[in-house]
Order: sequence, then C-alpha cells, then structure tokens
Amino acid sequence: MEDYKFLFKVVLVGNAGVGKTCLVRRFTQGLFPPGQGATIGVDFMIKTVEIDGEKVKLQIWDTAGQERFRSITQSYYRSAHALILVYDISCQPTFDCLPDWLREIEEYASNKVLRILVGNKMDREDREIPMHVGEDFAQRHDMYFLETSAKEAENVEKLFMEIAAELMEQAKSKELPRYDTNSPTINGRTTTIGDSNCCSKMS
Amino acid sequence: MAADNDLPTNYDVIVIGTGMTESILAAAASRVGKQVLHIDSNEYYGGLWASFNLENLNKWLVDCEKNENPSSDPDDPDCDVKINNGEDFVLLKNQTSHVSNINQKWHIPKKSYENKVEQWSRKSQTSHEEEDIDVVEDAESNSSKENTTRTHTNSESEKMPSIQFTRNSNWTQEDIMREYRRFNIDLAPKLLFARGSLVELLISSNIARYTEFHAVTRVLTWLDGELNVVPCSRADVFATRHVSVVEKRMLMKLLTGCMDSENLMQEFQGFDSKTFLDYLKSKRLTAHLLHYVLYAIAMGTDDTPCMEGVERTQRFLNSLGRYGNTPFLWPMYGAGELPQAFCRLCAVFGGTYCLQHPAKALLVADDRCVGVVSCGQRLVADHVVMSISQAPSNYLDETPSNGISRAVFITNKSIMPSEKEPLTFLQFPPGPNHPNPITVIEVGPSTHACPKGLFLVHMTCKQSKTAKEDLQEIAENLLTLDEVNPSDYDITTGTQSTQTVKQESNAASSEVAGGKGDETATVRTKPQVFWSMYFNCLETSKSSLSASVPENLHLCSGPDLELDFEFSVQQAEKIFKQMYPDLEFLPRAPDPEEIVIEGDTSEGNDQQEANMFEVDEEDSQATN
Repeated sequence: MEDYKFLFKVVLVGNAGVGKTCLVRRFTQGLFPPGQGATIGVDFMIKTVEIDGEKVKLQIWDTAGQERFRSITQSYYRSAHALILVYDISCQPTFDCLPDWLREIEEYASNKVLRILVGNKMDREDREIPMHVGEDFAQRHDMYFLETSAKEAENVEKLFMEIAAELMEQAKSKELPRYDTNSPTINGRTTTIGDSNCCSKMS
Repeated sequence: MAADNDLPTNYDVIVIGTGMTESILAAAASRVGKQVLHIDSNEYYGGLWASFNLENLNKWLVDCEKNENPSSDPDDPDCDVKINNGEDFVLLKNQTSHVSNINQKWHIPKKSYENKVEQWSRKSQTSHEEEDIDVVEDAESNSSKENTTRTHTNSESEKMPSIQFTRNSNWTQEDIMREYRRFNIDLAPKLLFARGSLVELLISSNIARYTEFHAVTRVLTWLDGELNVVPCSRADVFATRHVSVVEKRMLMKLLTGCMDSENLMQEFQGFDSKTFLDYLKSKRLTAHLLHYVLYAIAMGTDDTPCMEGVERTQRFLNSLGRYGNTPFLWPMYGAGELPQAFCRLCAVFGGTYCLQHPAKALLVADDRCVGVVSCGQRLVADHVVMSISQAPSNYLDETPSNGISRAVFITNKSIMPSEKEPLTFLQFPPGPNHPNPITVIEVGPSTHACPKGLFLVHMTCKQSKTAKEDLQEIAENLLTLDEVNPSDYDITTGTQSTQTVKQESNAASSEVAGGKGDETATVRTKPQVFWSMYFNCLETSKSSLSASVPENLHLCSGPDLELDFEFSVQQAEKIFKQMYPDLEFLPRAPDPEEIVIEGDTSEGNDQQEANMFEVDEEDSQATN
C-alpha cells in the first residue's frame, strides 16, 4: 500500500480557457504553460502533500475538454470531495456562466462537497471582474473564494493546500462523504460474504 | 447561437448517439489515436440506456410523447446545408422513436392534508437526510422513516407478532418530487456478471476507475407462490434451511458436474437435442432443486436447450466468488453511468463531445456516407457510427418486431426486507399467463437509485402485448398497486416481515384499510407502490441490416433483453474490427503515474508505482 493517510478527489469545472489545466499543472508539476497536446491521455493528476505531518494524496481531475460544449459526464462529479469552480477575472462571460455551473453541480455532485470559487489569471492587467464581486458571489453561494495566477504561481499552492487541510479536518470529524475512504478495503473482496454495504471498485 | 456551436468539420469517426455500444466504440477509436466527434441530440448521455432523476425522467416521457406526433421546423438551419450532385439526403429518426405504450401513474395523493405531527416528522427526516450521500449506514438503510415510527406495545402484544402503528407509508407526490434529485432510474437496467465481458473490459482498459459497483446481495426466485432465496454459494447451500441434507449433496454434485469441463462430453452425451429440463429430470432432482437450477441459476425456461442451460449455469457459477455473495454487480448511480465512463475515456484521449447536437441527416453517395448534416454544418468522417433507432427504415431488412416490456415502481420497502439493505435479482419463472421469464431487479438507496426509505423495482421481459399487460399481473404478486387514498394516511397498520413474503389474496386491501389490528398482524405486507411506469422499447439486437446501409456506416443495437452487457461489448468489438482490423481494441489506458509529461524528468512508463486499485485486485485474486 502506498504511503498516505487520506485520499481525496478534487474536480475542476468552469468554462473552456479559464486555466483549469494550468492550475493543475502548476500545482502538480510546477509547469507553465502546459505543452499543447500534452493533455491527451491524462485523466487526473496526483500529488501527495503533507499537512500537520500527515500525508494527504490529492487526485485532481480535469474536464477532458468536455466543458467546451457543455457536455461533462455526470459521473465526473460523482464521489468528488472538493470542487473548484474557476473563472477568468479578465473575461466577463466566464463569470456570467457561474450560475449555470452551479446548477449542474447541484444536480450531480454530493451536497456536502467542498466548493471553492477561483478567479484565475489575477496577473492580467485587463481585469473585468473586481475581486469583491467574486467574493460576493462566493459568499452568496456558500463557497470559499480565492484569486490565483497559474502563470505567476500566485496562490496556487495555497489553494490546494487549504483544500487538503479542510478535507482532512472534515475527514477527522467524520463529516466527509465516506466513499473513497471505504473503497480500498472493499475492492473485490470476496471474504465478506453478503456485505451489501460496500461498493466494489474494480480493476 | 449556431455560430458559437460550430464544430471542426473533419474527423476519423463521427459517433451519433451516446448509447452503450456507440460509447464503447467512441472510446475504442479515440484510444488508438483516431479523431472522434461524439454528438447526441439529447442534453443527457446514454440515449435509451440512460438513468434519470425523477424530473428528467418526466422530461423524457414528454419527449417520447411529442415524438409520436413529430412537428417540422421551417427555420431549421440544416436546410441551408449544401448538397452536392449525386448525394442522397437520408433523413434520420428521433432516438425515442423506438419507445411506445408509455403509462405513468402516481399511486399516492399529491399533497398530504394538514397534520402537525406529520410536518414535524418530515422535518426530522430532512435533517437526518442531510448527512446523506454516504455509502449506507448499516441497519437504518431499510427505512429512514423508522425514525418516525411509533411502536405501541402493550403487555399482550409483546408475545404476539408486533403490531406497529406506523406512518411509514405516508409519502405524498410532493414529498417524492422534493427528493427528485436522489433518484437514478434506469431505462435499461442491467446487471454485470462478475466475470462477464464488460467487467473484464472495464478492468483491462482501465475504464473501471470511472465506475463503482455494488454487489447484488441475493438471488431470489418465485416458488409455490412465495419468494425464496436461491442458495448460490457453497456457504449458502449449506446454510439454507429450505434444502435438505440429501438435496444439498445432490445440488453440489450437479453444479460440480456442469463445471467439470473434462468430463462434459461424457456427462451430457445424448442430450444435444434435448432440453436442460430433460437433463435435470434425468438427474432426479427434487422439484425445489430443479426450480432453483433451471429458473434461477440458468435463468432458463422449460424449452431451454440442454447445452445452452449448461452454458448459462457455467456462466453463473464462474462469476461467483469474485465480488460478493452473488455473481452480479450493479452500477452505482445506475447503468446509465457506464456509457459515460467510456465517453470520458474518449474525451481524455482527445474526443470532442457535444450534447444537444442532433444529426439531421446523412449524405450518401456511391454507397458511402460522405457527410453528416448537423446544426447547419456538413461534418465529414471516414466512419460513422450510429444507433439503429435513428436509422431510416430501409436500412433494416424488416421492421423490428421484437420488443421489450419494462416497468419501474417506486415502493416503500423491499419485496423481502432484510437486516442490511438488500440488492435483489429475481428471475420470475414463466407461468400460464406469461410465457416469458420476467427479470426483476430491486435496488435501494445505497446505490443512489432512490432516497432513503424507498426502493426501486425494475421489471423487464420480452414483449408480447403492452408492457402493462405483460407485467402488471406479475407485479401484483410482489407489490401492492392499489391507489392510496388520503384517508388511508391516518394510521396504517403494518407488521415487520423478516423472511418470506407470504402471498395471500387480498392481503393488500385489508392492509391498507387499516385499523384491523390483530387480523392483519399475521399477514406479511407487500410493499406499497407509490409510482409506476410502463413502456415498451424495440429490441434490435437481432435485426439484420439491409444492403442499403452505406459501407462506412456502422449501426449499433439498442438495449437487448439479456441481463448483462455481453451483447454490446461483443458488437462494439466486432464493429471496431471492421473499422480498424489491425488496431487493438481498447488497450489499457495508462495510470496518471505512468504518464511522462514534457519537461518532467521523473521516471516514466517503467515506474511501477503501486496503484491503490491494483493492490486490491491482487488481493482479491489471491483470495479466490
């Protein structure tokens, strides 16, 4: 077994071009910009971080381009512990679409998922959405808020570390939806006969 | 909007519709580097394989009915698409054109009348349910409404079967609709054999990482007018009280015989042209055992040929012991998740996805599909993959005449309550009034099929009349389909049934009437149906294609009658081999740890970092 105490699934959503992949790459590999075409075959990225001396493994899922025509599979949202909704502070339409994204999140994600609103590209000089507007929106919808710059590596580490810390906190106080914490012990186990309450993860 | 939605126009493969076979093909083509466009006219994935929450299911029903009277749109942008000389404009059908005889009904009142106690109890339930979305907590799974159950015990009744004055059937339509999001109702419910071809494909392709399953907890059968648990593991066989010691030996011997491939020829010599029933009779099985083996394990009928029965028995036995107590898995959130898992893989490997993007027509010239007309664009690809349900009638040798009858019920409890939440597979044997076996799958809240306190019952069989005519009578053996009047909501009596559900005629009506106290206490109550839906769908797995089908157009069947996805997987593989004979069908997708990103200097492909899932696979194989 790998050396980590917690495993969390974090998913990113938001319009095409707001920098979701860049955020993931910056955090997991310290790279910017990600090479074109490199996303082919990449499903999710993994990074293990340390919080209070404990290893936390983050599984960070990207949209695989399905957001472009509003065609994200529902299963993408299933079992997510945290959900990062990203817009581009220099692009009003990406902010205007947030309610649509929220509707989709409500429909398919767990209602206990940790939700974070992120205004990316804070390095841009042609800002269209003032920071307080983003903050207000986040507050109204009960989300955490942060502005980031994947390009300048601003707040990216902070974003994921805070998510990891918060999820670990929740996991310890058992508020967390418990799907993934269960799965390692039950995969294909055959010894527990008649155990209806476990879901089987194959492979 | 059309301009915003414009797609690139050239692809290797265009897949129209996101049904199971189509989605497997999209993934397979994308996986080997082909440029794939995958479009669907619906705003959801899965077509006739989809799973819906209750609200979206209602939308689907409306769409299906609309389709029966199609209207033409004069502003259709597709009229602007340029057609070249010599090209035929082949109009496609609506995906729901294969659905008919829809019959949806509520069996409970719309609203409850004012009742303070009730309001309080609803409230307490809501707060309870906010802790939800987890994977079931043990005992409370059967009915969260037990919280609001008031048990009146007096000294006398303690010795008797307990009488409960319970409010646990007082759901209203509004209560249920308030929880609409918590439903995942399958149009085509199917189980996976633990060693069936879909499970193997999910594992070998690494698509399993997008899916989660529950093991089916029990296999039931209907025997002598009541439900019986079919013993399906050695432990089961020896634990069951319904089978005598002699029978246990007999059963083990028979099953071992079916699995003994070395002596198979010898064992079944002379049975080639006989039925499986003949064989079982020759083994002098008792009536019970014969029933278990023929109807439940082999899922056969009296006419099932012997060798087919043996194969089916083998398939059942082969899948035992891998993931749970039975040979079956049920997909969490419904079977509609499975096509989506393949779509996700397709997208990860660069496939383009566009829902709400109907294909209007094909452009055909010289026996080739040279274009797909969609949303005012002419899209071009080497291969086009599409569901049979959208194909024009002349692409089939004959109009499909086979159909599937489907029923779905929302109920208040399991057909056979058990300590832990059950997940049931029941193959209802054919009877005098229904020539075909009926597949019953009951799923509960822990699979995310429905909210806590409720169950979903799916029934499927070969169509002979309308779905309702084919299924209602059998459903009444298991469920109470009577309508509940608001006045019945005052206080209903119910008893806790633990083992078998005894069938007694009119038990239901006397139960709902309530207030009969001791009389009804001895009657084990059937689940009350809150909502029911019937529909028919064409079965196209055996349709043969006509010579008019363009050579680069590949048609996929809709949901078939078989329990598993075997047919889809095989069809997808076959079509893929026609399209790309030299390429591998869904090779294993790398794990994230194995992917070398440009500029990343850490070790790449050879790095055998232990993936959590793989570790477990090894574990499970070790225990087998």
